[in-house]
Amino acid sequence: MTTVAVVPFVASLLLAVGGGWLGRRLPPATATRLLTAACLVTALATGFILSVVAFTLLAPMPVLAAVGHWSATVVRGHDPLPATAGFLPAAVVAGLLAAALRRTIAVGRDLAAAELTCRRLGPAPTGLVIVDDDRPDAYTLPGLTGRIVVSTAMLRALPPDERRVLLAHEHSHLHHRHHAYTHLADLAAAANPLLRSPAAAVRLAVERWADEDAAAASGNRAVAVRALARAGLARARTVAMPSAALGAAHTDLAHRARALQQPPPKPQPVLTLILCALMVATAAAALDTSHATERRFEHAQAAFAHRT
Amino acid sequence: MARKPRREPGTLEREVLAAIAAAGRPLTPAETLAELGEPLAYTTVMTTLARLHDKGALTRAPAGRSYVYAPAANPDTLDAALTARQMSRLLGAGPHRAETLARFVADLRPEDEQLLADLLTTHRSDPDGDADPNGDADGENSTGSVEGGPQR
Repeated sequence: MTTVAVVPFVASLLLAVGGGWLGRRLPPATATRLLTAACLVTALATGFILSVVAFTLLAPMPVLAAVGHWSATVVRGHDPLPATAGFLPAAVVAGLLAAALRRTIAVGRDLAAAELTCRRLGPAPTGLVIVDDDRPDAYTLPGLTGRIVVSTAMLRALPPDERRVLLAHEHSHLHHRHHAYTHLADLAAAANPLLRSPAAAVRLAVERWADEDAAAASGNRAVAVRALARAGLARARTVAMPSAALGAAHTDLAHRARALQQPPPKPQPVLTLILCALMVATAAAALDTSHATERRFEHAQAAFAHRT
Repeated sequence: MARKPRREPGTLEREVLAAIAAAGRPLTPAETLAELGEPLAYTTVMTTLARLHDKGALTRAPAGRSYVYAPAANPDTLDAALTARQMSRLLGAGPHRAETLARFVADLRPEDEQLLADLLTTHRSDPDGDADPNGDADGENSTGSVEGGPQR
């Protein structure tokens, strides 16, 4: 195992520490795309390298050596660890794979439920479904066509200019397929728990993206702030809050409101470049490890063939 | 008023639908224009209403020399509300709540309400935003803000 193999883990740590900051600092659309890509690349690379480590460590075991036709001593090389040490990374990989799989199933089920609901809501020529409900609510339902669902109570709670902000915000979610980014980032976070914080950053960046689109459509950032605040208050008045799992919502809404009070975000070429470089380095490290391991097994198989 | 960026055709249709639903009663084109609260051409609103009627999103009934438009009487309106509520509960539950549903505003903790109320009071300098003179942010949230539309 070369030291290069450490790069994806360093990248995970950097993303774990700096992901939230990057998500708030970069313009939302850039943050969403780059952080999602970084999460995916890093999760794939760490998973791959862990599997390679597990396999390389386990390879000298007589059973595997016999099946794979390689020389146990050559494949072991100068690794100081016993072959049984390979069970630890193997167990970790199995656990992470199972988590990723569970997550994929959960996402698939959610998307199927969303699609089914879209169908049951019937055709909506404009994509907007207005639901007669006295609880203020507004959300985007992903699906093949997707729907914007708004309750009559939410529409009544907002004056016309803020209603426009709300509709533009939800349309942005639908139009840019924001749910795909959050789902992919969450999947990556399931496969590599270090990526939970950048995945949360993607979720926030997606809201910020829609906020910026809505503010641009309204032409007045102050109206966008008011829409956010009034909709939040209208919801808080009527919805009984479960006390659990609301931690992030508070800081998110505060951040979104504060960001809308500032001028629109500017491009950050340096940060963008750093994040891209991190992705390239991570992918390169995985490729390099793959080549090195391939060579090692080729040598071991050659030695095995030579001996017999 | 500053020129707004050009919008896609669907955007105005959604805004018109939302305006009629917010009013809670059938509207004439003139009333729709007022409810939209935006300096739009009367003919633009007329065309949009006609298009929504063609698409089956609105029904219309003659009233005087014009029509009044109402949301298309969905045979299962109640069903739609129920479906949405069930689904919202289904997707909102579990360990990964609010990820599939992109909610406009997430649920708040009670102590955050103050933050939002403060935001509302600091951002109400808009010329047409001062519907109620008593300056109480709480009063603004009633349905009054819709009925007291800026243009009558």
